[in-house]
Amino acid sequence: MTGREGGRTKKPYAPGQAGPGRHLLLAVVAVFTLFPLILTVSTTLKTSQDVKVNPFGLFTSFSTENLVTAFTVGQFGDYLLNSILLTVPSTLLVVVLSTMAGYAFARLPFPGRTPAFYLVVLGLLVPFFAYMIPLYFQLRSMGLLDSLIGINLVLASTQLSFGTWFMRAFFTDLPVELEQAARVDGATEWQIFGRIMVPLVTSGMGALSVFTFLQNWNNFLVPLLYMPGGNYRPLTTGLYLFLGGRSVDIGPLAAGTLITILPVVVLFVVMQRQVTQGFISGAVKG
Amino acid sequence: MTALPAPPAAPTAPREPDETPARRGRRPPLRSGINDATRKAQRRLGILLVLPTVVIMAVFLLFPLGNAVYYLFVDFNGIDLAPPFIGLDNFAELAGDPDVWAAFRNNVIWIVIGTVAPLVLGLGLALLLWGVRRGSAIYRVIFFLPYVLPQVAVGVVWGWIYEPTRGWLNRVLDAVGLESITTGWLGNPDTALYAVLATAIWTAVGFVFVIILSALRNVDTEQVDASLLDGANWFQRLRYIVLPQIMPVFVMVTAITLIGGFAVFDLVFVMTGGGPAGATEVLGTLAYSSAFQLNRISYGTTLALFITALAVPFAVWLDRVQARLARERTGG
Repeated sequence: MTGREGGRTKKPYAPGQAGPGRHLLLAVVAVFTLFPLILTVSTTLKTSQDVKVNPFGLFTSFSTENLVTAFTVGQFGDYLLNSILLTVPSTLLVVVLSTMAGYAFARLPFPGRTPAFYLVVLGLLVPFFAYMIPLYFQLRSMGLLDSLIGINLVLASTQLSFGTWFMRAFFTDLPVELEQAARVDGATEWQIFGRIMVPLVTSGMGALSVFTFLQNWNNFLVPLLYMPGGNYRPLTTGLYLFLGGRSVDIGPLAAGTLITILPVVVLFVVMQRQVTQGFISGAVKG
Repeated sequence: MTALPAPPAAPTAPREPDETPARRGRRPPLRSGINDATRKAQRRLGILLVLPTVVIMAVFLLFPLGNAVYYLFVDFNGIDLAPPFIGLDNFAELAGDPDVWAAFRNNVIWIVIGTVAPLVLGLGLALLLWGVRRGSAIYRVIFFLPYVLPQVAVGVVWGWIYEPTRGWLNRVLDAVGLESITTGWLGNPDTALYAVLATAIWTAVGFVFVIILSALRNVDTEQVDASLLDGANWFQRLRYIVLPQIMPVFVMVTAITLIGGFAVFDLVFVMTGGGPAGATEVLGTLAYSSAFQLNRISYGTTLALFITALAVPFAVWLDRVQARLARERTGG
């Protein structure tokens, strides 16, 4: 839209002004972007007869039978629960441990600090790919394959470096005077951390939680590799299994897809500021 | 790291925080009022706070990484716990393996197109939305959404779009009179790689878009206005005023997208499994099938580390760019 005169400084203009043409173009791109989601919802809500004849025609019938089938025959209820059991504890672990370690690296001197810091940096540099195969055999000999605790720990370990580094930036930004004043008042180091510093970085912890939750929820490779037995199979590998076994059942497959993405979409739309913050700082801060 | 095309973990090597108050505390203790007892308490707390993270990272990252290096030089089949030492045979086999080079070629195509296309489209979208007020928040959510979706689900849905007879792509092509180019996009070896790649581009555009848009917010608008007065046209303003100001961020997002291209796995695995006839095989899927389907653990690990090594120069480059960005931000 054309700039408002006076008052606020004029907001930046892209090369060219925002006219109706630009809004039309944006709307077209938005529809194109959303089309796969629209298609998923449409196919999910069809009757099974309609799916057989015309699986991809948009909103030509209405029924919830595909959702019912996905939950009963497709076990997507179990997968949903398993996804929660694999994502919530690992996310909590990442947020709590990263806050702790981030504080230590930002503000405390301690022996072994430099090697510990290099370990964290190593985790930022080395992709999961590099060590995923040996990790399988290690987990096997530790008896952690197919276990909730093992997979939660692995998921947490893939995010801990980023989390620590992310939280450290928040603690580094806090003024020194805060802890000095608290120390003068007789607060212990533990109290300074727990009562004064942590409450000041809750926005960072919130962003990290949402970000980590999404990463772990979406993770495909970890459950694919380390849950060969299929106990606690989450939505991502559950959907893959369903795709392989019954790819003709497009209706329930669509419902399963919807069940897999819906929590992500809701979480993202509600918390989009935090999610974007996570991704942007992941990329921009150095 | 695993699922998403551009790993957010790409933020490389943060510098040691030399200027943190903790460090300063080592110098004259009186100045900040830190006495010996306090410092002792800080040390204890520091160790306590870092310990769980260090233990988890050591067990689930450092140890398997060390094992990966060991696997390079032996022939481990997953059963024999004392595998024979074979020196550099894994490397020799890799260098002479036509499957590896075919997969490598696909990775190169993936990296080039999968980097350039999202950059151009993401920049275009960001410029399109830049300065738009009404609805801007909604557009931001919509455009970024594909990037946060699980790739398995994305692969399933795009598989339907590419379906030969009933898929929307062929239906649209029919409708506009392009029947001649309709095909079974994922089943045709000539098109499969590009079809999967197009899906990846659909997910990656939003990432580039969001980063560039946030950089555009910092562009000096007075220069843009001044150039308007000087009669600069759309392209000149973009080329000489806007782009130079967002260039560091642009280069950085290039590097991140590029590095993500080496580790591509999920989408290919779900949509084509490397087929048809190896047409979409990339190094990632090849490493997976070597290790977990053919039980050639050592060879698969060699491939996985090969992928990692290929990305290293780009990671170093990214690190430099990020360091420069950080310096500019602090005005140093």
